[in-house]
Amino acid sequence: MTVGVERVDYIRVPVKDIGQAKHFYGDLLGLPLNANSPDDDWLEFEAGNVTLAVMTPETHEYEFSPLPPGALALRVADVAEAKAKLEASGVEVNDMWDSGKCRGAGVRDPSGNPILLHRRYAPYPDGSTP
Amino acid sequence: MDVEQVDFVSVLTEDIPRAKEFYAGTLGLPIETEGENDLELTLGQVTLDVFNPASVGQAFAPSPAGIAIRVADVAAARAELEAKGVRFDGEIVDTGVCHFAFFKDPDGNTLMLHRRYAPRER
Repeated sequence: MTVGVERVDYIRVPVKDIGQAKHFYGDLLGLPLNANSPDDDWLEFEAGNVTLAVMTPETHEYEFSPLPPGALALRVADVAEAKAKLEASGVEVNDMWDSGKCRGAGVRDPSGNPILLHRRYAPYPDGSTP
Repeated sequence: MDVEQVDFVSVLTEDIPRAKEFYAGTLGLPIETEGENDLELTLGQVTLDVFNPASVGQAFAPSPAGIAIRVADVAAARAELEAKGVRFDGEIVDTGVCHFAFFKDPDGNTLMLHRRYAPRER
């Protein structure tokens, strides 16, 4: 018997201030807010294939701590362009790196959660591309 | 800016072989790529990256994200995992729209079994 994992329903993103987070994820990153978000302290943003449940731990019976480094990699068409757009909005973005297969640039949300702007440009071993 | 999708979600580990046993063995996730300090697995529609931060001189910290893993039946999946030695935090919670149960991987990263049973309102 296996557990039968079907998919990821959501990933919690713990934040300290829901208003700041709404601005960051909704306005700056441009993620659509799911109209079914259940409450003011639990906002569901749709990041393509995965729902990000942006929520305040202190109203859900546990203490805030940020996600660890590199926890969430968001695919964008062009990392340099996305970095420039965020910087134009006053967001500090780390230097872009190039692994030889993909590019990335780290940014932190207002609560300090690390978010990676990410794009793989190298084909996968089977020849397909992201 | 246009975010297209989540490419991967990461959890950190201090012991790659132990994490492999848990995610590939106990949870049954297919392995995508495997390295000495890095393991990528298929978690439904997203890639789960399990990474040893000590390999790049970074500190370990467990993730509080509580990735909500959809299963057909939370109680059945919980029983299955408990039979394999996984410990859960508290009882199964019924929110009125879904069931969930918290558990941790061997490194203390928070995970959840989750199943919504109510239809979406809109």
